[in-house]
Amino acid sequence: MQIWPLRFRDLDDQRTILADDSGAYFLAESGFVDRYARDAITPPEERFLREKGHAFEWAGDLAHTGFLTRWSRRQHVGGGSAYVILIPTLRCNLKCSYCQVSRAPLAAQGFDWDSETLQKVLGFLDGLPVEEIQIEFQGGEPFLRLDLLQAVAAFARRRFQRVRFVVCSNLQTLDEDILAFLDSEDVLISTSLDGPHQIHTRNRTADSALTKNFLSNLERVIGLIGPARVSALPTIDMDDPPDPEDLIAAYEAFGFTSLYLRPVNYQGFARKSHPAARTSTAWNAYYRGFIDTLIARNALTGRVMEEFYLAHCLRRILAPGLDGHTDLRNPNIPTGANAVIDFDGQIYPSDEARMLARIRRVNLAIGNVSDGLDQEKLALLAPGHINNFDPDCIHCPYQPFCGTDPIDDLSRSGRIDVPRQDSWFCQRHLAVFDLAMELIYSKDPAVEFTLSRWFGLETLPDALRPIAP
Amino acid sequence: MIPLRLKSECDRTLAPFVTRIAEEEPRCAEDATLWSEEAGTLGYQTGQIKFRLSDVAPAEVAGDVLLVDPRRQIAHRLIRAASPHNTFLITEQCDQLCLMCSQPPKPQHQDMFDHFLAASRLAPTGAQIGLSGGEPLLHKDALFAFIDAVFATRDDLCFHILTNGQYFERADLAWLRKHRARLLWGVPIYSDNPATHDEIVGKPGAFAQLSPNLALLGLAGAALELRTVVLRQNAPGLPSLADFIARHLPFAATWAIMQMERIGYGRMNWGRCFFDSSIDFASLGAAIDLMRARRQDVTLYNFPLCTVPPAYRDLAARSISDWKQKYLPACATCSLRDDCAGFFEWYREEDGFMEIRPQ
Ligand code: SF4
Ligand code: SF4
Repeated sequence: MQIWPLRFRDLDDQRTILADDSGAYFLAESGFVDRYARDAITPPEERFLREKGHAFEWAGDLAHTGFLTRWSRRQHVGGGSAYVILIPTLRCNLKCSYCQVSRAPLAAQGFDWDSETLQKVLGFLDGLPVEEIQIEFQGGEPFLRLDLLQAVAAFARRRFQRVRFVVCSNLQTLDEDILAFLDSEDVLISTSLDGPHQIHTRNRTADSALTKNFLSNLERVIGLIGPARVSALPTIDMDDPPDPEDLIAAYEAFGFTSLYLRPVNYQGFARKSHPAARTSTAWNAYYRGFIDTLIARNALTGRVMEEFYLAHCLRRILAPGLDGHTDLRNPNIPTGANAVIDFDGQIYPSDEARMLARIRRVNLAIGNVSDGLDQEKLALLAPGHINNFDPDCIHCPYQPFCGTDPIDDLSRSGRIDVPRQDSWFCQRHLAVFDLAMELIYSKDPAVEFTLSRWFGLETLPDALRPIAP
Repeated sequence: MIPLRLKSECDRTLAPFVTRIAEEEPRCAEDATLWSEEAGTLGYQTGQIKFRLSDVAPAEVAGDVLLVDPRRQIAHRLIRAASPHNTFLITEQCDQLCLMCSQPPKPQHQDMFDHFLAASRLAPTGAQIGLSGGEPLLHKDALFAFIDAVFATRDDLCFHILTNGQYFERADLAWLRKHRARLLWGVPIYSDNPATHDEIVGKPGAFAQLSPNLALLGLAGAALELRTVVLRQNAPGLPSLADFIARHLPFAATWAIMQMERIGYGRMNWGRCFFDSSIDFASLGAAIDLMRARRQDVTLYNFPLCTVPPAYRDLAARSISDWKQKYLPACATCSLRDDCAGFFEWYREEDGFMEIRPQ
């Protein structure tokens, strides 16, 4: 019998999580690693490893072939569809304290696509080798240029077989034309709701009347197109985070069943004004507390609220193929099919890369709509977007589920070769995956209730929590 | 029941022949056209041959591919143009003796490949044809040659082959790869416990042979449909089988969990084998939950919808072939009827599901 290499990490002082390269994991008491290292595992342990697909007898037997399949699926990020973020304008009618993109004032000139840029953007989209696309409009406030959104939508509906639009709007102003645009089934809204009235006001509007305005607009949009086509994100300011109960209640009040907790991003204006955003310890502690509250509340109310990112990480642990969320996947090689096109026609591999360029830290543009993609730069960026060979990740049991974020490393440390565990990305993901594993192995009925609902299951199967004998 | 055989009058001295009932103008020499229509009898002509069909309307057989057997005065409807459920019975021989077999094996074999080849060439465009038995791969060389010959002129067709998986060899890899897009292999696995699987299929060592052969299908990138009939013998082990499939058979395109068919050995062993999932869905539910968590495809075949808890109903397919499907009197008022698989013609209420509840 040959055992596939196992990586391990202590969950606490008695329990260790082990996983192989295919992402198959199990829990063992801490002595197991010692026996594994000394090649002295017991016959029941051998049987367990064989049954769970961590070992094989000969290349080409069923266990070996099953492992190869699972392994290859972890290396493959599905093609065939594109996910493009468009910034038709950088101007905005709000001035949020943590604004990530260093927005331009409402009346500023030269921060919108001109008609030539629009045509070139359409030409770029036309050249993508896909029939399925999701186009996300960001800004600034995209609805300031509804005309550009309409032009892109009309073109994309003709060009692609399947298309979805997400407008990331502050929903501060609505008019009949905007409502008419929202009326199509293929248009979704993503907005920011930072929690109860006063927190939303402090973070975003600085004016209670504006907040009232937003809240009534949000209600109106949900009434018009239903909660399924509207999503909202709270951005958490770690200097003064909202009470989790209040935050969840604010989301529930609108009929949302999912929210996506995000820390203030350490970029844009936020770099100057939010020193707390630098440390992961505070965030990880807040996040864990939030999830505890959420799980207890779900059990109490019988309604189920989801925290998107944790649910997503959990789903990635259970099975391969969940690669639709471009912030967390591996490999995540930049290509034109996952790109951001800025107000000036510059193309970036991600929104974060665009922000870095905006604050003149480093220009990570991978081309522009006039000259096309810069293949040399793409080739330069590619290796940093694979975690399989990172000297730290190769020892980490979470590698098959995790991703990379060299852009964030660059932003925080000015380089991408920082030891993983020193990076914000790694610290945050170690914490999320540790938490995810604790939850998977929890026997608390409240946890089982939330997890089974997040996975769409009636009960949580025991086979999802293998434990070595 | 839709008849698969029609009474047919024709010159008894003729050899059996394959013909297609032309829908409009004949398209090839094998097409037969209607030349007479009397009470209960239709007269057809193909080339110089004339034959009659009884008790059927012209529209019912239009486009059908028939094998006319003059000696027995019978026309086999090899391909019914209006049906997605067409199957060629390759052989009645089998090396296994499954407890619930609906088509118990017979010792003799009658080679029909020439007729099947002729029929396939006349099949509707894009048709999927089932190949079953017995165990078709007992005649592997002839079967593979038949499939090659069909694809040589009809690469729009697909075959869904039901095999017990005992007869693959490494040497088949290249052939399996070559045809992987056009062949779907339906292979039964009843348990991840070899003893239980072997007991159900009535062949010691069957699981030990099945396991590496499934790996060959995986290595070939073949389309694999795992098939598990739920029985009293294997129902408690379904969650464990699901875990086995997720870990060792992730390349399977789908896993079909099936209810029993009360015919053949299935009738003989009904009392000993039938598992009433209408009153106990727990192990099925747990198995399905695991497959959902692992994002692997599951289908429920032959389950009346009201016997499946609502959370799993979207997996239940209308799987029972049209010609042997029925509903119960109680189903008349049911709102789910149009989506429901219903029952096999030979299902009996007195020893069937306890809980049939029109919705
Ligand atoms: S980034 Fe950190 S958590 Fe992610 S795989 Fe690498 S070491 Fe593990
Ligand atoms: S009552 Fe009849 S038609 Fe309705 S779900 Fe049950 S078996 Fe199907």
